[in-house]
Amino acid sequence: MAQPIHVGMADLVVSKHPASLITLGLGSCIGLVIFDQISRTAGMVHIMLPDSREAKNIPKPGKFADTAVPLLLEELYKLGATKAQLRAKMAGGAQMFSMPGRADNAIFAVGNRNIEATTKMLGAAGIRLVSSDTGGSKGRSVEFSTETLKFIVKTLGTGTKEI
Amino acid sequence: MEYNDNFTNFHMDAIREVGNIGTGNAATALSRLLGRMVDMDVPVAEMVPIYEVAGHYGSPETSVCAVLVRTEGEFACSLIFMIDAEKAAIMADLIIPMDISGMGESEQMSIRDSALAEQGNIILGAFLNALSKITGWTLPTTTPAVARDMLGSIMDLVASMFGVIGESAMLVKTSLHVKGLDEELGGTVIMIPDPGSLECLLAKLGVL
Repeated sequence: MAQPIHVGMADLVVSKHPASLITLGLGSCIGLVIFDQISRTAGMVHIMLPDSREAKNIPKPGKFADTAVPLLLEELYKLGATKAQLRAKMAGGAQMFSMPGRADNAIFAVGNRNIEATTKMLGAAGIRLVSSDTGGSKGRSVEFSTETLKFIVKTLGTGTKEI
Repeated sequence: MEYNDNFTNFHMDAIREVGNIGTGNAATALSRLLGRMVDMDVPVAEMVPIYEVAGHYGSPETSVCAVLVRTEGEFACSLIFMIDAEKAAIMADLIIPMDISGMGESEQMSIRDSALAEQGNIILGAFLNALSKITGWTLPTTTPAVARDMLGSIMDLVASMFGVIGESAMLVKTSLHVKGLDEELGGTVIMIPDPGSLECLLAKLGVL
């Protein structure tokens, strides 16, 4: 088993098989994996926000859904991934705190907006999202292994699942 | 980063002093509520790169309980009272006037959550009262929201709040310690002024 690579906030990591990519404690953020199901080349990005258009500068394109997805694809192609064989899995986008009557508040709803923006970017890029575990109110730790091509999602209290 | 550079040591001192006054009042309120002495540490005010916020106060997978209150208006700010998950039950039980150990697990948790929400509300409300006194602002607060989860996933909220406009987050942290118990018991008060509100606070304090 390959040494796991930690993907921090707004980080983007691509690797050839074998690799294990992990992100700990995702709240409203998204852990997105895109992988080539034949060559098993895979990449993970830790998306924090939906939209880069409000930002003045973008030092880390992994931060925003709209800049992260194109960059992740570009990096995967550099490693020889084939577009038709690419699939995506994602987890995260929780709303950690719920305040009565404040569900629509931009601060609290950022998880949902992250899910929407990431899904839309994948659609626009023509990448099929094969499974996801998103939303809700619990944080997640995720691990993707190129061995199994499974995304292992851990939450406090409810345990572990594979998607 | 340009946003970070606007703040000098002088500004950070002023913000730390706000944390000091706020948490001082919070400690007093908690002390009254519990009928015990409560000590506090010296507040730490710092600009933290948003990418490091999740792991700044400990491993991102640490299990914690957090109560969040917000004020919005002339000044917008989030306040979090955070306590280790296993200490949270002890803290809650201090104000639950009956033995709940015979109840089902989910019932116990829901009673403890509401006790913690109330404790958080009193602590954070006292913080905001002090802030209101020194600034003259009315600071209406939201009802407290409680989350039990991984530290990293809770701090995500802070990272994304600041991430919209910049690369670093302003955090003001003070630890509280409840005295007179067999076990070490305490929590952390974190003030997170909304990004645009920092300047507003500094101007009000006469340091900008």
